Amino acid sequence: MADRYSFSLTTFSPSGKLVQIEYALNAVNNGVTALGIKATNGIVLATEKKSSSPLIEPHSSSKVALITPNIGMVYSGMGPDYRVLVDRARKVSHTGYKRVYNEYPPTRILVQDVAQVMQAATQSGGVRPYGVSLLIAGWDDGILPEEELEVEVEGEKKKISGKTGGILKGGPSLYQVDPSGSYFPWKATAIGKSATSAKTFLEKRYTEGLELEDAIHIALLTLKETIEGEMNGDTVEIGIVGPPEDGLLGYEGVEGAKGPRFRVLSPQEVEDYLTSL
Amino acid sequence: MGGFDFSNHNRNVALHAKGMPLPKATSTGTTIVGCLFDGGVVIAADTRATSGPIVADKNCEKLHYIAPNIWCAGAGTAADTEFTTALMASNLELHSLSTGRKPRVVTCMTMLKQHLFRYQGHIGAYLVVAGCDPTGSHLFTVHAHGSTDKLPYVTMGSGSLAAMSVFETSWQGNMTRDEAVKLCSEAIMAGIFNDLGSGSNVDVCVITPEKATLLRNYITPNVREKKLRNYKFPKGTTAVLNEKVITKEDISKYVTVHELQDDEAMDVDS
Amino acid sequence: MGSPFSMNGGACVAMVGKDCVGIACDLRLGMQALTVSNNFPKIFGINDSVYLGLTGLATDVATVSDLFRFKVNMYRLREERNISPDTFANLVSTSLYERRFGPYFVSPVVAGINQTSGKPFICGFDSIGCIDFAKDFIVSGTASDQLFGMCEGLYEPDLGPDELFETLSQALLSAVDRDALSGWGAHVYIIEKDKVTKRLLKGRQD
Repeated sequence: MADRYSFSLTTFSPSGKLVQIEYALNAVNNGVTALGIKATNGIVLATEKKSSSPLIEPHSSSKVALITPNIGMVYSGMGPDYRVLVDRARKVSHTGYKRVYNEYPPTRILVQDVAQVMQAATQSGGVRPYGVSLLIAGWDDGILPEEELEVEVEGEKKKISGKTGGILKGGPSLYQVDPSGSYFPWKATAIGKSATSAKTFLEKRYTEGLELEDAIHIALLTLKETIEGEMNGDTVEIGIVGPPEDGLLGYEGVEGAKGPRFRVLSPQEVEDYLTSL
Repeated sequence: MGGFDFSNHNRNVALHAKGMPLPKATSTGTTIVGCLFDGGVVIAADTRATSGPIVADKNCEKLHYIAPNIWCAGAGTAADTEFTTALMASNLELHSLSTGRKPRVVTCMTMLKQHLFRYQGHIGAYLVVAGCDPTGSHLFTVHAHGSTDKLPYVTMGSGSLAAMSVFETSWQGNMTRDEAVKLCSEAIMAGIFNDLGSGSNVDVCVITPEKATLLRNYITPNVREKKLRNYKFPKGTTAVLNEKVITKEDISKYVTVHELQDDEAMDVDS
Repeated sequence: MGSPFSMNGGACVAMVGKDCVGIACDLRLGMQALTVSNNFPKIFGINDSVYLGLTGLATDVATVSDLFRFKVNMYRLREERNISPDTFANLVSTSLYERRFGPYFVSPVVAGINQTSGKPFICGFDSIGCIDFAKDFIVSGTASDQLFGMCEGLYEPDLGPDELFETLSQALLSAVDRDALSGWGAHVYIIEKDKVTKRLLKGRQD
């Protein structure tokens, strides 16, 4: 009776494990590889879009999803679970933040909210954990790391940012959220079937001070190592957090309005990056 | 939002029963208009907010964003127009994200009327909803009790009669964009100068299938003449009994959060 | 009995200067015509660079100031940063509108400097949360009509911190002298990017 403790999720195994969570992680580790790389001026999220049969209609829904204008998400694991989480993430960013402060949540706050949803599924009755790991990429307004002034105060160098604490700093951030509800910030990482080899590859290729264009290049190279079939605009999906795209705003004349930073690249754009590889 | 808290209600009713008047909310005693033209729709508003006879805000914004292709002009209780349109904007954004389509003006109008009807007119929002979607250009009015109208040109608010007189005199079918903008701003000007509840400037929003353009303070016919001299007081005019200067450095003595150097930081966020 | 807004009396005003903002209030607390205290400040510090002024029914002034102290503390714990004045203004707005059908009888004023952009910020609200974004000044309280007149006359853009203090103080003192329900001294805060000066003014005690 090896799985004696798996009938209820609120039950620990004697060794202190919650095996359902481990099974959920197995689901993730069988999933299609997804990766994210943080650059100085943006972030790239990339994944493979698999079609099991030539008879299948091309995907209408995408795997890389926009959550708020500056935050995007990709997954590895179970697609249906992911779509539930995308809906929840979008909803909570409004109900729990935008409808109170009239601004979108910073990346870490959104990550915490999504992580809380995933954690709740490990402790509630009648549900199973979400079978996905997420990569959440976002850009926060605020003081950018390079804008901080170094000032000498009483002989010692101090960074003056005018602010204290963690997420006050603006700029890009990339998080991974697991089925257990734990989350980690990364410079670059991968999840899914070939996560280990992809991460080894990223460790070799990643350098500090990377630009977004280089990051997209590295993302495609990493994907190339793990991908089985052909790489083209229809089998690779890329989402980027980049400079504000005021053209995508759909309106003009509003003071201080900035376009979304997150967008999913069109198959043609992906194709262009692939040919320049 | 939408989940209102009534915990002060009984107290306030009791106070009201003892003869206390209800609080006067900022109202946009307003002129708002809208007009369809060939290839789009335009809405316009004045910029005065009043509280009783007092001008509370001389340059407020009465044109509200609902979606990139849907905008709304609001009259009535200012807080109600602000929050009802913000709620619609939020719900339509989530709706459009999950359907992957642009929101439609009828959807917005239907959501608004259902919301307002549920509150039986207690939410005092009187709105002109306009926008372009795949089904065409649309213009609606929505009243606080939930009734709606669909017309080629509309006016609302305390200056609606003044504005309508302009439309009834000069409106014609198949106008161009520029003709419609001119007609709408003239209608608002009629409100500004002939209705006491309306005043200051003209805001215009032009919506076409491609994009919406907000023309904030499109006409400013009421600029205050610059003061030729001033009433600056020399330093030390006001007698001060006590002075306390609080600097950032003083405060930081009591703050326990410190900026860590990169090497000692735990690197949670960067 | 009059309106709940004029039972206890009180006045508050905020002005924008050059790279600074000022906010000031009187110190009277009354019960109709009877003055109970001449030390009832109506300005509450939200953080180093954001201040909230509350006039209206004193019981609600106390309740609402406590409510925002709680909400802002929770924000700081969750987000590990101080709330910016514009974000705080939206928080005030939504919190008041939540009680649309049972409002607090207060007229809040927010003044502060946005530490990210360095820009001065002021705004006022009605009791159900409609924000009045003003580029020049905001008034509230039983002396609001008088304050409107004073500010409309005395205010001018780009005053330095010292000039702003004089203009703001004189506007308030003159206004409350013509309001029976306000006065009895005043507090004036001048907020700059990395310095706040709080001054106590002598006012008529009648």
